[in-house]
Amino acid sequence: MYRQYLVKRILYGIVMYVILIFVFSLLFNATSEQTARSQIEEEVRLVGASLVNPTTEQVTRITEERRTELYRMYHLDRSLLERVFYRTWDTLTLRFGNSTIIKSSRGDREVGKIILEVIPRSLILFTTAVFCQLLIGLFLGLKKAQRAGGLLDRTTSVATMVVYGMPSWWLGMIMIMFLVYGIPLFPSGGLHSSPPPSGFLYTLDLFYHMALPLLTLLLIGSWGLSLLTRNIVLGVLQEDYIMAARARGLPERNVLFGHTLRTSAPPITTIAILSLLGSVSGNILFEGIFSWPGMGNLYWVAVEQNDVPVLMGLLSITTGLYICGLVLLDLIYGFLDPRIKVGGKA
Amino acid sequence: MNGGRLLYWLKDFWSEFRKVKSGLVGLAFLLLFLLSVVLEPLLIPFPETNKRWSDITYWDENPRSAPPFWTNWFTGKKSAVTERIRSFKAEERQSDGVTLRNLTFPYEDSFEYPPYDLIVHFSGKGSVPFLVALQRPDGEALELIRAQADLTEGEDFHVSVDKEARDAVMEYVRSKESEEAMSRLNRSALVPTEMIFAEAGPGMAAKPIALKGNYRVIVTLMILPDAEVKDPFLVVSGRVSGILGTDSSKRDIWSGIVAGVKWALLIGLLTAFVSVSVGVVYGIMSAYLGGWKDSLMQRIFELFISVPLLPILIVMSAVFKPSIWTIIVMMCAFFWVRPVKTVRSMALQIKEETYIEASRALGAGSGRIIFRHMVPLLIPYAFAVMALDVPSAVVYEATVSLIGLGDATIVTWGQILRGALTGGAVLGGLWWWVVPPGIMIALMGMTFAFVGFAMDKILHPKLRTR
Repeated sequence: MYRQYLVKRILYGIVMYVILIFVFSLLFNATSEQTARSQIEEEVRLVGASLVNPTTEQVTRITEERRTELYRMYHLDRSLLERVFYRTWDTLTLRFGNSTIIKSSRGDREVGKIILEVIPRSLILFTTAVFCQLLIGLFLGLKKAQRAGGLLDRTTSVATMVVYGMPSWWLGMIMIMFLVYGIPLFPSGGLHSSPPPSGFLYTLDLFYHMALPLLTLLLIGSWGLSLLTRNIVLGVLQEDYIMAARARGLPERNVLFGHTLRTSAPPITTIAILSLLGSVSGNILFEGIFSWPGMGNLYWVAVEQNDVPVLMGLLSITTGLYICGLVLLDLIYGFLDPRIKVGGKA
Repeated sequence: MNGGRLLYWLKDFWSEFRKVKSGLVGLAFLLLFLLSVVLEPLLIPFPETNKRWSDITYWDENPRSAPPFWTNWFTGKKSAVTERIRSFKAEERQSDGVTLRNLTFPYEDSFEYPPYDLIVHFSGKGSVPFLVALQRPDGEALELIRAQADLTEGEDFHVSVDKEARDAVMEYVRSKESEEAMSRLNRSALVPTEMIFAEAGPGMAAKPIALKGNYRVIVTLMILPDAEVKDPFLVVSGRVSGILGTDSSKRDIWSGIVAGVKWALLIGLLTAFVSVSVGVVYGIMSAYLGGWKDSLMQRIFELFISVPLLPILIVMSAVFKPSIWTIIVMMCAFFWVRPVKTVRSMALQIKEETYIEASRALGAGSGRIIFRHMVPLLIPYAFAVMALDVPSAVVYEATVSLIGLGDATIVTWGQILRGALTGGAVLGGLWWWVVPPGIMIALMGMTFAFVGFAMDKILHPKLRTR
């Protein structure tokens, strides 16, 4: 049953992705083509300049040939709908073309390679952050639920609301200003010191550079998670079987960790993964502040250099990752919630 | 829902809302924000902030990167504060049809660090030769500027001591200093105000010591019969300036922050209102219509939630170069999905109520049932979602502005932070430029979070106690 659900959900996610990429291709068609055309003109001009002792006629003929060839290669000679379909297909097969300015650290100008290089760096920062957030949030949430309306509950609830509308990148700016330039405790940014140390020191150096962004993300993210955990746990605590468990004389720890947490697991997992997705989507500019060379930083650079192919590639990959997350969420949810597992109804 | 019932419902809601303390705090903040929008012209010292925020000439009189005036309270050595002196003593003397008018502006200098600049302003018409002199507390008087103002009607004329009095001040220092010190003094490195507010004598060029006391700036105007001079005033451009200081382009941050309130409210409220309205109606329709229409609507909904919001906003802004209105439209296009899921499940329950069946039996169309019988029931929930959507809209706009894709023609907190980031405020520790806009964003978020969570508490009384 679960396998059927799994296959169905994954297929559904793929269809969703294909449709979205098609919509993006249609929406940004004009800009993408404009960039492609100017890239072709650039290349044609180079071909023209590289000829040895050319006559004018020769130059026109050869550049014209080259141009038609390139137009055919990029499918620019087709009708609008066909062009959009070809672009969709190219994007789906990860052929994003070449960037206009940005290069990867190895000097590649292929957008796919540029992006693949930065993804792990973003993932390491955000997964660590979400993992820590989850631990803190769960712990705080349970504590809050245990004494709902108590001092801890009230103070942390106020904290939740204080950071509710606070942009993470702003807190990052403040942290850098006071903890890097004010009191030099942390490095100002980047992935590692230059030159990077080797061996175990390399890892240590990485963590040292990760500390401040991580701290900022935790300060922003943990409160909301703890409030949601609290609300879910409080909801479960009012169920009859909890009362029954208490009536049986089970210790409070057992009630809380055994009975309550098991039932609260699906919604809490949802929130955890949604917050991971949220941080991929919502905190991307955060990386730019800390010069953390991940995807967010690449967005930043691509916008500043107006590098359209890189932006398009980033958008489709971010969307892909986001949909992967949503699918994963449903799969885990189905796994944790027996009703879905057995019923097989999505 | 007719008027009477609405009033009753509001009263009922208020009596519940009153009990939630955090909600009242939020409401108080909201009123403060609204009040600051209404009183904006009274609150900001620079009336043309909204129109000329990015016009450098408008801000020329402020000092560059100056901290707020109240930083003086925490330091031992005080810095001169920016101020406008409008009170003066006027004396007039007539001779041969020419009026000689003497304007004396008193200035009390009690600071260790003198102001950066003195700027004399007046307007009127015709050519007016004038003279600016300074009467010092030690009895010395020095002539700073002697020039002619060509005035045009309706335009302000100003003259800056820092720019125009360099030579005169150089001469003054030469009369006090030793030959050797003068040879070491670089003309372009000389700060005129440091010299004229310093104790006279050898050593003043290298290490000026502030001379405190009552100064008088005397402006002598020679007004010919056909000329006219109006509203003179003196601007003292201090080392500390305004309620929140100035940025590296000399802009007054307090004015920018206050001017940003209305944009934040507009962006937040408009986006939240439009998107939640659309989302609620969409959710109800999906639930009520059912069948293949429901399936189709759910698929479209799922398509929208599969899009990562900030990336698409950034790419769309980068491609379409939007104004603030298009940014709001773009945000609405992706925000409406938020209430759909909950609304749909609530509407599925409401749909089965007998009174819905009854009105259908009476021949009511789906439009009537949805808008007359189902939407009103979900309005409280819609308001709670709306309140919680406002902060995210404000943050998203600020984020898009931060990366440089916002509407640069208006003053939003995001634009100010963009300026701070590109202007090196983080590196230079100009905290008065970075902290306030963010605090305001957070404060607005907090305000609506308080209101929203309070509504949530009323709607879900289960969560109040264990």
